[in-house]
Amino acid sequence: MARVFAETVLPHVDAAFRYARWLTRNDADAEDVVQDACVRAIRFFGSLRDDDARAWLFAIVRNTWYTRVSRRDTAATEAPPNHARAEPADGALDPEARLLQQHTVVRVRTALEQLPLDFREVMVLREIEGLAYKEIAAVIGAPIGTVMSRLARGRERLLAVLKAEMSMEALS
Amino acid sequence: MMCARFNRDLESYVDHELDADAVVTLETHLAQCPTCRARVAEREALGRLIRSTAYHSAPLGLRASIAARAARSTAPRRLMLWAAAAALVVSVGGAVTMVRFADARDAAIVGDVVDGHVRSLMADHLFDVRSTDQHTVKPWFLGKLDFAPPVVDLAAIGFPLVGGRLDYLAGRPAAALVYQRQQHTINVFVVPNDAAAALPVGNRSVRGFHLRRWSRGGMTLWAVSDLNDTELTAFARALQEP
Repeated sequence: MARVFAETVLPHVDAAFRYARWLTRNDADAEDVVQDACVRAIRFFGSLRDDDARAWLFAIVRNTWYTRVSRRDTAATEAPPNHARAEPADGALDPEARLLQQHTVVRVRTALEQLPLDFREVMVLREIEGLAYKEIAAVIGAPIGTVMSRLARGRERLLAVLKAEMSMEALS
Repeated sequence: MMCARFNRDLESYVDHELDADAVVTLETHLAQCPTCRARVAEREALGRLIRSTAYHSAPLGLRASIAARAARSTAPRRLMLWAAAAALVVSVGGAVTMVRFADARDAAIVGDVVDGHVRSLMADHLFDVRSTDQHTVKPWFLGKLDFAPPVVDLAAIGFPLVGGRLDYLAGRPAAALVYQRQQHTINVFVVPNDAAAALPVGNRSVRGFHLRRWSRGGMTLWAVSDLNDTELTAFARALQEP
C-alpha cells in the first residue's frame, strides 16, 4: 500500500501545501493541515476510486482545514498572514523593473489573500493549480455553476481592488 | 446591452472551458466589441499576475516525512491478521458467529461511537438532514464526504429511517444515519475502511449501549443503541442484507 500511495499521492504533496497555504495564509498552519490531511489520505486511500489523486488530496486538505477552523469555532481566529519569504525577482530585468515587479507581486498576493475564502480558493485552484471546473467542483463539493459564479465574482473583486491600487498598465 | 449575454461565456473562454460552437459565436462578437475584448484581456492579465506571485513551496522534508508515515502505516496488515484470528474463533466455536472486539484501535473507535451516540441524544443534534426518505438522505451526504454511505430505509420491518448527520469517528468524517424503534434511537456510523477482507460481525456493550459492527462494500458500519440486544441484532442483520 505504501508504494502505491507513494506513487499516486506523494507527487501532489507540494501542490497540496500550496493550496493549504492559500487557505490558511500561514506557513505553519499550512504544514499542519497537510500533515493531518496526509494521515487521513493514508487511511482513506482505499476510497480513491478514480485516478484524480490530486483533486482527491485537495478535497481532503480542504476538509481538514474546515474541520480545524470549525474546531477553533470561527475563522476570525485564523492566524495572521505571514510574508516572511522574499520573492525571487526576475534576474533578467534591470533593477528598476525588478523593483516594480516585486511591488506588483506583493500587491497581487495581498489582494488575493484578502479575498473571502469562497472566492480565494476557486481562484487559486483555477489560476495557480490550473484545475478544470469539474475538478474544482469535486474539490469544493459544489456544482460547476457555483464554481463558475465564484470565479467570475472573485475576478471582479480582485480586478476592482487592483485597479484602484495600481496603474492600469499592469493590467493590460 | 447585448454584451451581458456573453458575461458567463467570457469567463469560460478565458478558462478554455467553452465548447467549440460557443467559442465561434463569442469570437465573432469580440471582433466587433472593444469592451468585451478589454474584459477578456483584463482577465487574462489577472491570471498571469496571479501566477507570477511566486509559488509557496512546501517546506523541505514535508514530503519525506509523509512518505515515512505511509511506509509505517501497517493498518491493513493488522486488520487482516485480526480478521484471520476472528475467522479462527468462528471455526473453533462452531455455532459462534459473533466475535469480541480485540484490536486496540477498535477500542478507541468504540469509545467514539458511544460518545457520538450520546452526544447526538444529549445535545439535541440528532439530525443535519431530517427525512424519512432515503432518496433525500443519501444525496445530502454528497459533497460533504468523500464516500457515499449506503442509505436504506427499514420502516417495513419497524425501523424507520428518520435522518442523517455528519459526525466524526477517530478524527475522520463519518456519516451518521439515524433510525428509530419506538422510543429508541439507533445511530449507524459509516466510515470507509481500507481492509481488503470483510470484517466479521462484532458485538459489544459499553456503558449500557449495545454495538454492532460489520463491513460491506469498502465501508465499516457501526450500529449503536440502547435498544435490546435481540432487536439490535435483527436490525443489523437487515442492514447487512444485500
